[in-house]
This record gives sequence, structure tokens and C-alpha cells, in this order.
Amino acid sequence: MALPNQQTVDYPSFKLVIVGDGGTGKTTFVKRHLTGEFEKKYEPTIGVEVHPLDFFTNCGKIRFYCWDTAGQEKFGGLRDGYYIHGQCAIIMFDVTARLTYKNVPTWHRDLCRVCENIPIVLCGNKVDVKNRQVKAKQVTFHRKKNLQYYEISAKSNYNFEKPFLYLARKLAGDPNLHFVESPALAPPEVHIDLAAQQQHEAELAAAASQPLPDDDDDAFE
Amino acid sequence: MASKEPDHEHREDEEAPAAEDEDTGAQVAPIVKLEEVAVSTGEENEDTILDLKSKLYRFDKEANQWKERGAGTVKLLKHKETGKVRLVMRQSKTLKICANHLVLPTMTVQEHAGNDKSCLWHASDFADGELKDELFCIRFASVENCKTFMEMFQEVAESQNPKEENKDASAAAESLEKLSVEDKKAEDKAGEEKAVATKEEKETEVDTTEKADSEKKDGETASST
Repeated sequence: MALPNQQTVDYPSFKLVIVGDGGTGKTTFVKRHLTGEFEKKYEPTIGVEVHPLDFFTNCGKIRFYCWDTAGQEKFGGLRDGYYIHGQCAIIMFDVTARLTYKNVPTWHRDLCRVCENIPIVLCGNKVDVKNRQVKAKQVTFHRKKNLQYYEISAKSNYNFEKPFLYLARKLAGDPNLHFVESPALAPPEVHIDLAAQQQHEAELAAAASQPLPDDDDDAFE
Repeated sequence: MASKEPDHEHREDEEAPAAEDEDTGAQVAPIVKLEEVAVSTGEENEDTILDLKSKLYRFDKEANQWKERGAGTVKLLKHKETGKVRLVMRQSKTLKICANHLVLPTMTVQEHAGNDKSCLWHASDFADGELKDELFCIRFASVENCKTFMEMFQEVAESQNPKEENKDASAAAESLEKLSVEDKKAEDKAGEEKAVATKEEKETEVDTTEKADSEKKDGETASST
């Protein structure tokens, strides 16, 4: 469901509520999907930010309106308005911070008070970090409450598509739904004049000496 | 679907990730009915002349730093009729487009100063369906792959080239007419260093030679996984 000032689309769209303690990586996860970048800097979300996120499937294009909520209580507990009409949800915790897992039941309770019978994915984020505080087998909450669980890493992209894929399958009732290549439209002709070309080359020369972020992994997942 | 399966073996291992395909979710009623649709990649009329795993970055000018754009497969695609070549990169798993631009004669690709598996170039990118000026940097798993990419990119850029430093457009047009395809090919190699000609208004006249030239290069496909 879109915000009143957001354009609606002519393909299926769903309101996805993302909750969990502050610093677990909700915003970073959404941003990773939106732009590809991995934001290391922590800037707490205030209130809520809604981001439309499209996926191409064998059943056409779909959109999640990601309600990326503030995890930090000092920015105000979540108002019911964030949850209302939520059609699916992600509860995120940080496998390197035990307390964030301990708080999962509270997030789940708050969510379920407003949203009944919606598909929910529990995500244990930051599994790329060596010293985990919450091991995979210690995660049991999803079994008690019938949630789906994925271990993810917004940093390495491990399983990063799985939560969306799972939710899409549940919302459509189609276990075979899968992501497909989005159409790569023919780029229009562009004309680059000599002045522009020289400017680009100057910019390239300057950028060539700027280091790449985390250029040590070669997995390219 | 939501049947609870017994624990998988590797669940015993503390370090192993949870069984991935096990569905522990509740049965929920679907809220939409979606029909299977015909899928188009938009690449149907093109041949893949290069296909490599890589990570792509874009330069954030305001922050003066490189930012990740996506990790997946970069391709050079050559149109079967026009001979035009474009670069298309898709994010792995979600298969979304992270880059989509024509390879033009005005483009040059250069090494990254601090990373010999990386190179960079400028493009008018159409990934989001609107043209945006971007500085791209791409990093490969090996120096070798980076070299393969750079060579192919440069060769393609030059093959789309009107070949002249045509500050004088009419002179360029005249000499182009004189060039046979064979001569042109030879001059290609000789003129590699100074191949920075702008296209001016010559595009239509150049088209036929371009096509002939690029057809000769069919089959030069580099591929790796």
C-alpha cells in the first residue's frame, strides 16, 4: 500500500513492514536492494521511510512498499499506523547482538496485534561476521510462532533475495514463483561532444585513484 | 507446503546456516492471483560477446567515493542487425539491471590506480529507464578477466568508430568514403592510440562501414564463469 503522495502502479503491490531493534540493518538491507550500495555508516531511522521496491517474476512485475521503521525506541515506539494494512512483514535481528534476538518476541507481538495472518519472515542479519552471538541452532522462535527464518548478510548478499521471494510466493500462493531477468530496454543514442568527453576523462582520472570499498572479496554473490 | 520437516543433518553443526528450503511459515491465504506471463530479457536480438562475473561500482561525485552498484554478470551484447554493442550488467539472484549503456567510440576504459583487477569508464547509463551520466568501475575475480574485459571493451568502442579525429567533418566524410573495409581494418590497429574522434553528424554515412567492420568480428566471444 502506497503513501497518499506516492504514485500507484498498475501491477500488484504489497505493504511490507520491516521491524526489529535499532542497528540490526533494516535500512541497509533495503538500501542494498534499492541502489546496490552497502552503507556502513549508522544513521538511525526516524519514524518510518517508505521505499517502493520492484521485482520481476515469471508472473509479472510486483512491488513491495517497504515500510522501513525506526528500531530505536527513543525515536518513539511504533505507532499502529505503521502496521495497519500491512500485508507481509520482516522481523530483523542481528546475529552478533544477542539482545536484538531477545527482543524479537516483542516485535512479533506488536506486529500481530495489528496484522493478523500475514506471512512473516524472521531474518538473522550480519552472518558474514566471524564472532556470532546467536548461532543458527539457537534460533528457535520461528518454529514456535510459525515464521519463516533466513540467515542473511546485507554485506555479502548471502540469501539477500530470499525474504522477498518467500513473501512473494506466499502472497501469490504460488510456490514456483521465481525472479526473472527484467527487460533490458535499448538505450537511446547519445551524442557526446568533445568538451563533454574531455570533462569525463578528467573526472575518470580523478576517480581512478579513489579506493574501492571492500575490494577483498571475490565471490560476487 | 508448511509441513514441518525433521531437522536436517547439518542443523547439528553450529556454524552451518539453517536449512534453507525448509518452510516453517504458517499457512496463509494468498491475497492475489497471478498468472504466468511471457518473459522478455530485451536481449533476444543480440549475441553475447563477453560474459564475466564481476562487481560494479558507481562514483558518487558529492561524496567523492565509489559506491557499490551490484554484483553479478556483466555482458557485452552485439545487436544482430545493427552491430551496435551495449554493456548490460545484472545483479545475481534478483536479475535486476545495474548497468545498461551503449559502447561508443568516444569511450575509453582505464585501469584503476590501486586495484589491477578493476577498470573504469564513463557512460550515459539507461539502467533505470532514463539516461544518467555515470562513472563506472568494475572489479573482476582476476587480473586476467579484467584484461579480457578492457581489451574487448576498447576493441568494440573502436569498431563503432568513424576513425577520424574529425574536427573537420567534411574531410572526415570524404576520407571515409575512400576507405575500403580492408583498409579500414588495418587503420583500426594503427590508429588505436589516437582513436578519440567525436562522431559529429557522420552517423548515417558511417553505418554501412561500421556494420561491415563489426560483422568481421563476430564469433570473437570471451566467456567465463
